[in-house]
Amino acid sequence: MSHRFLTAIVAGLMVCAELAGQTKPPAPAPKSSWIHPKTPWGDPDIQGIWPGTGMIGTPMQRAANVGDREVLSDAEFLQREAQRKAEAEFDSAEYVTDAVRCDPKRGGLGNTPDTCANGVSIGPPLYWQDRGTPNKQASLVVDPPNGRIPPLTPEAQKLASERAAARRGHGPADSWEDRSSWERCLTRGAIGFLPTGYNNGNEILQAPGYVMIRIEMIHEARIVPLNGPPHAGAGVRSYNGDSSGHWEGNTLVVETTNFNDKATVNNTPLSASGRLIERFTRIDADTLNYEVTIDDPLTWTKPWKIAFPLKRDPAYELFEYACHEGNLFMADALSGARAEEKAAEAAKKGAQ
Amino acid sequence: MNSLRRPRFRIAVALAGLLLAIRPVGAHHAFAAEFDIKKPVKLQGAVTKMDWINPHAWIHVNVKGPDGKLVSWMVEGGSPNVMLRRGFTKNSLLPGTEIIVEGYQAKNGENRANGANITFTDGRRLFLGGSNPDDPTREVK
Repeated sequence: MSHRFLTAIVAGLMVCAELAGQTKPPAPAPKSSWIHPKTPWGDPDIQGIWPGTGMIGTPMQRAANVGDREVLSDAEFLQREAQRKAEAEFDSAEYVTDAVRCDPKRGGLGNTPDTCANGVSIGPPLYWQDRGTPNKQASLVVDPPNGRIPPLTPEAQKLASERAAARRGHGPADSWEDRSSWERCLTRGAIGFLPTGYNNGNEILQAPGYVMIRIEMIHEARIVPLNGPPHAGAGVRSYNGDSSGHWEGNTLVVETTNFNDKATVNNTPLSASGRLIERFTRIDADTLNYEVTIDDPLTWTKPWKIAFPLKRDPAYELFEYACHEGNLFMADALSGARAEEKAAEAAKKGAQ
Repeated sequence: MNSLRRPRFRIAVALAGLLLAIRPVGAHHAFAAEFDIKKPVKLQGAVTKMDWINPHAWIHVNVKGPDGKLVSWMVEGGSPNVMLRRGFTKNSLLPGTEIIVEGYQAKNGENRANGANITFTDGRRLFLGGSNPDDPTREVK
């Protein structure tokens, strides 16, 4: 795609966003009489900021004892609410010591290998995290009916052990390539909509023939051509793949292929045959249902689906995300690992 | 359903929830790779500036060393968005404000730290949660 063509698209999107801003919002109507808005050129209008913040805390996979129920029972929901209240109390506590933060009896809050080691917390304060709104959805995975990700194929399992073998002998930060694509400011994974601890803003802008989907975390913007040309050739592969969209009634359907072998879903790289089918359906003024089917027969034994609602929040702002600027993580992690190696070597010499 | 309204049952459910719940805390990068649990630091000093940058903000603090000389430290914070959503504004930590930071120094020995606990000198915490718009315990006024 030429630079000039890209500039034209971005300019078009900006004009459209401005036009959309100029149209007067319709008077609030009772929910039942809500009419799906249209863009000036007649497409269903799903533009806006749709953060996934509310869904933080809804697990990816369903607990085994919940079985095939997509909706939690009242008692299970009470548990989730209690957990959320405990988090809020924890966040609001005047002073939280490491011992408390790492105490599993406090529900394991903040107690992950990354943040707690030997009873000492090295993570950021937990009040620097967003929290979700307790809801009754049992899991983000809705298909298979048990809400569990299907098993990997034997080929994918073999690939996973080969990758693990290749990693053996590497330290945690021998090279920048030992760190995750998220830490390297490349991508958080092939499905940017999955809720995470913070920066869950998602923005959708439309222009005639195009939809732009912007994910706040790491700042990923996908420009999706509608009813466009076929996907790029098999040799063209990337972290975000090649997206193509069309409307089915009021639902935007986006099919993405051409992922590279580092584009992951649930920490598993997609294969060359990997395909994501996303469906965006606005069901009222403030709710956009998001669905994504993961279809990769070389990786999972059957296709599976994630679905959850996104809530419109015009007050939510997405800020500049120049991920490498002022971000000292990579330099600190690499030089920190070298410093540790030096110290270990010096200690070894001292002991001799 | 009636049993749910009984206080004892509700407490039992709440406790079960606390014991069962393990929710990973997502963060852009692993603090464990950057900071050293063997190097705890307690810093007191005046804020000189704040970098409001993604994915993590930096608070710059001038810390007086044992020899009386001022040493500049950087303390890693949350993302600008989550801090603003929690009610933290650009006026919350003006230059000159004295703070106490308890955290862990960078593994490479640079004067950088995470801020596991940040308080003002009168003991108040840097800012309290509760103003998160998604917080169900927030009082709507």
